[in-house]
Amino acid sequence: MTDYKTAHKKIPLFLPHSSASTALNKTGSWRYVRPFYDEKTSPCAAACPAGEDIGRVEMLVSRKSIQQAWETILEENPFPAVCGRVCFHNCEGACNRGQMDDSVAIHHLERFVGDAAISSSETPKIEALPDNGKKVAIAGSGPAGLGAAYFLARLGFGCEVFEAQPEPGGILRWGIPTYRLPRNVLQKEISRIEKLGVTIHCRTPITAEMLQAFKTQYDAVFIGCGHGRSIDLQIEGGQMAINGLQFLYDIRAQQEMSLNVRPTAAVIGGGNTAIDVARALVRLGIDPLIVYRRRRQDMPAFSPELQMALDEGVKLKTLFTPIAIKGAGKDSAGRQAPYVVTLQKMKASATEIEGRARVVPDGDKTETLQVGHIFSAIGAEPEAPWHHASAGDSACLDLSHCKLSNDGIPIAYGGDLTNRVKSVADAIASGKQAAMALDTYFKSGWDAVNQAVTGCQVGPGPAVSMAIYLGEERKDRSPHRVSYSEINTHYFISASRVIAPVLPPGDRIQSFLPVESTLTTEAALEEARRCFNCGICNACDYCRLYCPEMSVTVEDEHRYINLDYCKGCGLCVAECPRNAMALKEENI
Amino acid sequence: MKQVAEGSQAVSEAVRLAKVQVIAAYPITPQTHIVEDLSEHCANGALNARFICVESEHSAMAAIIGAASSGVRTFTASSSHGLAYMHELLHWASGARLPIVMADVNRALGPGWNIWLDQTDSLSQRDTGWVQLYCEDSQDVLDTTLIAYRLAESVNLPVMVVLDAFFLSHTYEPVDIPGQKTVDKFLPPFLPRFQLDTDNPGAFNQFVAPQAYMEMRYNIQTAMEQVPEIFYRITEEFETIFSRRHNLAEAVQCEDAEIIFVAAGTTVSTCRQAVDRLRSQGEKAGLLKLKMFRPFPIDFSRQVLSGKQKVAVVDRNCSFGASGIFAQELRAALYNAESPPQIFGYIAGLGGRDVTPETIEDIYWQTKNSDSPPAENLWIGLDQETVESWHN
Repeated sequence: MTDYKTAHKKIPLFLPHSSASTALNKTGSWRYVRPFYDEKTSPCAAACPAGEDIGRVEMLVSRKSIQQAWETILEENPFPAVCGRVCFHNCEGACNRGQMDDSVAIHHLERFVGDAAISSSETPKIEALPDNGKKVAIAGSGPAGLGAAYFLARLGFGCEVFEAQPEPGGILRWGIPTYRLPRNVLQKEISRIEKLGVTIHCRTPITAEMLQAFKTQYDAVFIGCGHGRSIDLQIEGGQMAINGLQFLYDIRAQQEMSLNVRPTAAVIGGGNTAIDVARALVRLGIDPLIVYRRRRQDMPAFSPELQMALDEGVKLKTLFTPIAIKGAGKDSAGRQAPYVVTLQKMKASATEIEGRARVVPDGDKTETLQVGHIFSAIGAEPEAPWHHASAGDSACLDLSHCKLSNDGIPIAYGGDLTNRVKSVADAIASGKQAAMALDTYFKSGWDAVNQAVTGCQVGPGPAVSMAIYLGEERKDRSPHRVSYSEINTHYFISASRVIAPVLPPGDRIQSFLPVESTLTTEAALEEARRCFNCGICNACDYCRLYCPEMSVTVEDEHRYINLDYCKGCGLCVAECPRNAMALKEENI
Repeated sequence: MKQVAEGSQAVSEAVRLAKVQVIAAYPITPQTHIVEDLSEHCANGALNARFICVESEHSAMAAIIGAASSGVRTFTASSSHGLAYMHELLHWASGARLPIVMADVNRALGPGWNIWLDQTDSLSQRDTGWVQLYCEDSQDVLDTTLIAYRLAESVNLPVMVVLDAFFLSHTYEPVDIPGQKTVDKFLPPFLPRFQLDTDNPGAFNQFVAPQAYMEMRYNIQTAMEQVPEIFYRITEEFETIFSRRHNLAEAVQCEDAEIIFVAAGTTVSTCRQAVDRLRSQGEKAGLLKLKMFRPFPIDFSRQVLSGKQKVAVVDRNCSFGASGIFAQELRAALYNAESPPQIFGYIAGLGGRDVTPETIEDIYWQTKNSDSPPAENLWIGLDQETVESWHN
């Protein structure tokens, strides 16, 4: 018999063993390619007109750093709670996650962050430069004007905003109904801009004469009055149609209206105003029909809004255009007779204009329609000729979102006056770009403006970033826009997209109360974790875990590669789930 | 306590009783029941071990090598292609002198795709430095697994416990599953002779120059040569505790035998029955059961077989271009023996084909009726019609 402990006594062991440290072996000498941290541009950020650092925002939300997430949005956009409700969220269409299962609900997350900030007592820590002694007059307090004021104030300018209406906000206050944007949300975000020292003069429309006077009173002017005049229906009886924008204004001004006597309406147009007019009508007990001259896919209205309208009972008639309106006198019994609208049938031709089918009359096919009301929402244009940047002015700089002319003092034009896409986010972007342009002008002169603004582009542009302009870390990112094929999808498992709580259509149409609710914290955190954080280091640490030489170290939340030992195997780069690293050849 | 258990369960119960600390395995038929059982034991707390799910057998063995290097008791199981995939790391495990225990369920290699019994998978690993122990029945499986841990940890060499696909792995028979206290008496907690230690950092098995490599190899051979003696002492102790005897090889009615069968695995049981039947007919048949294949029991084979007339080896494997592997090994072992017997190498029962008592008797008569082996390998039970059709 034998004892377990001593059984091996006769078995000698001859094994290689070393207690010398492997630090002796400087494997860095083997390297011919070098990994480095190379943050890139997320496709969502490049698609966001306001250039928000979305990949980083979602990373912060996923860590429950809501305050920081908010401040990160505020770097680029003073209106997260507003945009979280009304933005057309181009970002989600660009989201790489959409190619795996479903895009991240960036829009809802922005609203969550904006609302969390509103209900928190914290004030944001946003970089603002000291007073530079320059004063800017701003015409219009819509998203463009207030955006310009916000960014100019942060750059040290004194800002005075002039607004024709009794309350600030422009289209946000008067053009977007409360079921999409409640007043208190808008007011909170406007107040935050005022706290930066921005003065808003309401009931003070700017005139051409005032503009002349400004040239001696201010150092610069920003004009963001938007398209104040609706385009009229140039048809027989067209003057009988109610101006859709005015209708929305009246609703916001008076809260409620009574139109119930005539329960049907036609809304002419295919843009967001047409949709909002129709949705407002539904809430007033009217049965609206949107008449649009092109096809559904050609409508400039944002498609989620159209879908909401259809769900609420709005009807849509496409490929018809009104050619005459008749009526509406009293019938023989003295009752209000309906309007009779003659509609010309249209057909799509093979040619396209800016992605939309060109339509032409389909022979002489017509239909008639009897309705109680007619609303026109076929577009708007600048109210006064001086709202246009002077055409043909050789001193006019045509930037991606704004124009800058020099008429004694620099005058910037933004918002709908200059943007190809008429959206809130594009309006904000124009204000931001104008602020950068004016700041550069005063610091480095006219000729430096174009290059300075282009240098602040997010990835391939055209969105520009204030964080980049201010020289923050974001400026070090590569403009390369991360594609889905560059994501290491092994690190992500399929997870369904959050569904924001939304009232059923039957309940929605009872009032102008908000249709959608804000995500709960749990839902928001879970949704934010779905984000790939394309191109942005989120400190997942796979580079450090996989480094065979343990040459990745972390100090103050930054990662460093010890080149004495990094042998250039590239494992860190291959494993990085989000393409925040790259390899480059050594100079041998 | 006796229970009706599958051969696979005999392995998993032994592993549980051995209080193994780390298991890493990749499933493959017919090994799957073993690791399924063990993962359940780990999940329900019957076994306090870390079960590492891996993506391949190569990784399973790599994980086990890492775990064993840190000084814990380890287990894995595989079969056929899985075992072949581990090949590189089998060399590493023995070279690193890690007392790993693995169960291999003998299964044929493809193509043709075949999940049934064939010994080629384990015998292909004969030069990897692993001790190989073949089992005859489920009790043998359980006991051998426990013995394997004592043996591996005594000689610092890995041990492979080999059981036949389906005939053992999937067959239920009564097995005495001992209590934990009894097993603890036989198999105390693992006491590593060396281990990775974070308090005393060091590296094992790095670069070795020609000046030392050969001595390392000689050291392994020296340990292997000690195995039969240490196995004997361990099985003696096993017998006092469990009242069951296990030998590295066993001679059955060999004293006066004229023809002695040599077999391993479940074929041994079939041979026992055939020997009894032949004896009852007045034939002088005998049987040498080989339990240990590595190290090969050279001395024991010589003691039993020297001076005998004829030996009939039943190989359920073939080393193509040579012959059955047991036959080869036996020829090599007996070449320098005094008056070696004639060795008839039979190849039978490949890929799960039945080897019945009648097959063994057929082998007996063929051997008896030949003055000398007509060829180095003699294939039993081939379908002659198929074979002849190849030449038409």
